[in-house]
Amino acid sequence: MTFVPARAGAVARKEWFHIRRDPFTLALALVLPLLMVIVYGVAIDFNVKEIHLAVSDLDQSQASRRLIDTFSSSHYFRPRPEASAALATADLSDERARAALIIPPRFEKDLLAGRGAKVQILLDGADNSTVGPISQYVASIQALASRRLAGVDPSPPYQLRTRFLFNPELNSRWFVIPGLTVVIMAILSIFLTALTVAREWENGSMELLLSTPVEPIEIIVGKAAPYAALGILATAFVYVIARGVFGVPFAGHLWVFALGCLLFLVTYLAQGLLISVLTRQQTIAMQFSMLTGMLPSNLLSGFIFPIASMPRLFWYLTMLLPARWFMVISRHAFLEGSGFSELAVPFAALALSCATMVALAARSFRRTLE
Amino acid sequence: MSEAAVVEARGLVVRYGDFTAVDRISFAVGRGEIFGFLGANGAGKTTTIRVLCGLLPPSEGGVSMAGVGYEQGERAIKEKVGYMSQRFTLYNDLTVGENLDFIASLRKLEPAAYRRRRRELLELIAFDKPMSAMVRDLSGGIKQQVSLAAALLHDPEIVFLDEPTAGVTPVGRERFWGLIRRVAGGGKTVFVTTHYMDEAEQCGRVALMREGRLVALDSPAGLKKTVFPEPVFEFDPIGRLSFDKLSAYKTHEAFSFFESYGPRFHAAAASPELWAAWAPRLEKLFRIRPIAPSLEDVFIRVVEARR
Amino acid sequence: MSGVSISVEGARKSFAGCEALKGVSLEFGAGRMHGIIGPEGSGKTTLLRLILGLLSPTSGAARYFEDGRPVAFESLRPSLAYMPQTQSLYPDLSIQEHLEFFRDLYGIGAADYSRKREELLSITRLGEFVERPAGQLSGGMYKKLALMCALLRSPRVMILDEPTTGVDPISRRELWDLLYRLLDQNILILVTTAYLDEAERCSMVHLLEGGLVVACGEPRALLEREGAGSFDELFLRRAAVRPA
Repeated sequence: MTFVPARAGAVARKEWFHIRRDPFTLALALVLPLLMVIVYGVAIDFNVKEIHLAVSDLDQSQASRRLIDTFSSSHYFRPRPEASAALATADLSDERARAALIIPPRFEKDLLAGRGAKVQILLDGADNSTVGPISQYVASIQALASRRLAGVDPSPPYQLRTRFLFNPELNSRWFVIPGLTVVIMAILSIFLTALTVAREWENGSMELLLSTPVEPIEIIVGKAAPYAALGILATAFVYVIARGVFGVPFAGHLWVFALGCLLFLVTYLAQGLLISVLTRQQTIAMQFSMLTGMLPSNLLSGFIFPIASMPRLFWYLTMLLPARWFMVISRHAFLEGSGFSELAVPFAALALSCATMVALAARSFRRTLE
Repeated sequence: MSEAAVVEARGLVVRYGDFTAVDRISFAVGRGEIFGFLGANGAGKTTTIRVLCGLLPPSEGGVSMAGVGYEQGERAIKEKVGYMSQRFTLYNDLTVGENLDFIASLRKLEPAAYRRRRRELLELIAFDKPMSAMVRDLSGGIKQQVSLAAALLHDPEIVFLDEPTAGVTPVGRERFWGLIRRVAGGGKTVFVTTHYMDEAEQCGRVALMREGRLVALDSPAGLKKTVFPEPVFEFDPIGRLSFDKLSAYKTHEAFSFFESYGPRFHAAAASPELWAAWAPRLEKLFRIRPIAPSLEDVFIRVVEARR
Repeated sequence: MSGVSISVEGARKSFAGCEALKGVSLEFGAGRMHGIIGPEGSGKTTLLRLILGLLSPTSGAARYFEDGRPVAFESLRPSLAYMPQTQSLYPDLSIQEHLEFFRDLYGIGAADYSRKREELLSITRLGEFVERPAGQLSGGMYKKLALMCALLRSPRVMILDEPTTGVDPISRRELWDLLYRLLDQNILILVTTAYLDEAERCSMVHLLEGGLVVACGEPRALLEREGAGSFDELFLRRAAVRPA
């Protein structure tokens, strides 16, 4: 199979004309990132402060008080003492509290005996928007508390402290906006490319294109190129807003992030093309790209719902999702400054899915009308 | 204008900004007439039909459609007129019955009158499939016939058919024209646009539009006589001559008309003297035989000549 | 025999149990205008698509020859031009943008392109509309643009599927004139038409019906043989003898 850059260029140029003249595409490419940044960055505040925490301390020991103190000193929780576990649970159902902490009677004894003390934390699962952040806070505080309760630990737990430094105020924006790049790229790349080949079929122009010397690979590359450019532009835009407007720190190497972006972009462009080639109809292509691109990258990538708390089946399912891996890369690149060695697994997974998707898209593109 | 005129256009002018799409058109069409409306793409046919259908008030002039004009309101005109377009007439994903029911409800027909009318029309088109047949399962020809029935459902006095037979088989076209004649025979006035010249031949009268004006209006036979008063010949090249060489004859002094017709040519003599002088030489290059001019020749001469 | 010729041998093609072509054998000799005529659903478009490699036959084959010697389809592909029946241009691109797009797809040099562009624009008289988007062209102009795109690189085979459907008589004649001009360059032309009066304008006609070839020949000789005055009459008569 030959590849003539000039022909791919001709396809790309034509595609650019379409984009420029189609208000829908332009709006999607330019307005959507802006809108999403506003919605997720400003309007929706995932920060949950002063969460009412019903506390039932059945141990009344030094250790149990220290545990409660850890929660209250974080400023995220306001303890509300209750006499029994039943009363604490009732607070939850009556919405007097969003979470409940129940410390069993033998807490300190078990702790000192090294038997592994257990406390129970109950979350109000009815409120989806806060359960995620709260469970994250709880997890962080638990880690902190276990260190403090160990008591004997002489050195300040260095690792723990740095982990808090990634996002010392547990600021949800810092967490959300790196994730937003993932979602925006996913939507732009999969949506727009899914429509483009289907449009050629609906238009009748595919029949003409296929009768010219242009090779399928040239059509694919030519069609993907302008959308890749749009995707990169939108990502750069989100990056600038993240840094400039929301003051999100960027701890990592730009080129680690850029490589992740590129891999992710190509994967989803290929997926969009695959959808387009298979469906041949814009309306169906649109639904498919919603189903396989937009929804999973929003819901299953860890953007809103933590992957760790998903049911087992979904947890496995997310492993197949490029957005999940890029989410890890993006957040780590922004907040932790991780390099390739730390991100080897997500990068490997992303590269694999990228290669698979490109191969599938190229194979599915036939030179006949059948 | 005669008393029998059902369709009357008086000095119609339609302007879009600076552009005059229809330029002072007047004509009258009688009851039961099949009226062919021809012209190149963009000559103003569609605009004129829109005015006549009550869809577009003219910039100047007026219409009288079965006695009703824009003075009585667009809806009054629409009551008198049925319209069948080549593109969109029936919903493919509805049944024949559902389509007709839908149109009847749009037109607010009385249930009893609708049922009677529907039975008459389905008999007219000899529809032998069940009402529950999906439109998409019908052949192109049957679909056109059902579309015609749909356009006639509210019993209009005038029906417009916009390229009704595009993409229909020869047999389907023949049947459709049989229907048109029966509809006209029943007292309806039928307006047809077509690009098939053999169909135009079947019209009682033919109007030709060019650049917004009416440039000819007569029966097909009358048009041929007036447009081609001189004899017309077919020229069939004997050897293989290059296209450019052949095209050069268009400006040859022997001809007042010389136009290609596939590999052959249709020609009219500029004058008997010049013809007599040139004929011997031309006969060496072409097989020449006298023919009657076709309506396409008329069309070309009328529309092209004054360019 | 110079130029490209094509022969179709026993081509069959089925779609989901429905047989569109039921064993078609045809010879398309070089440098002539071959009309493929037949009613809707007779298999005309399927036949063209087989020849163009856009569909593969269920059985049988299309063979290609250059100056009488067999050649592979792939080597011929660059010299094939095709004008599909359905609208196939981009409504938002102008005439100029279409020409440039196809120039780049075909890899036509600058000098060649500008010469060809001038020539085609003057023949089609579209010169003053080069900035107009294809979606705003009239039926005739649209077809002429499609033809221009196909003719931009000088093809050796020109395949047109119902080029004149929905086109007014003047534009139709212009389209036919354009095709006749091509014959001078020894190009093989295959054209389908639903206008039966156009059959007479071809050098050879091939009548298709229900996926079979029912008659072939020089148009007038064919009519004489069948004892019909016109192709319309021929088709109506065939339909009358065929059970409905």
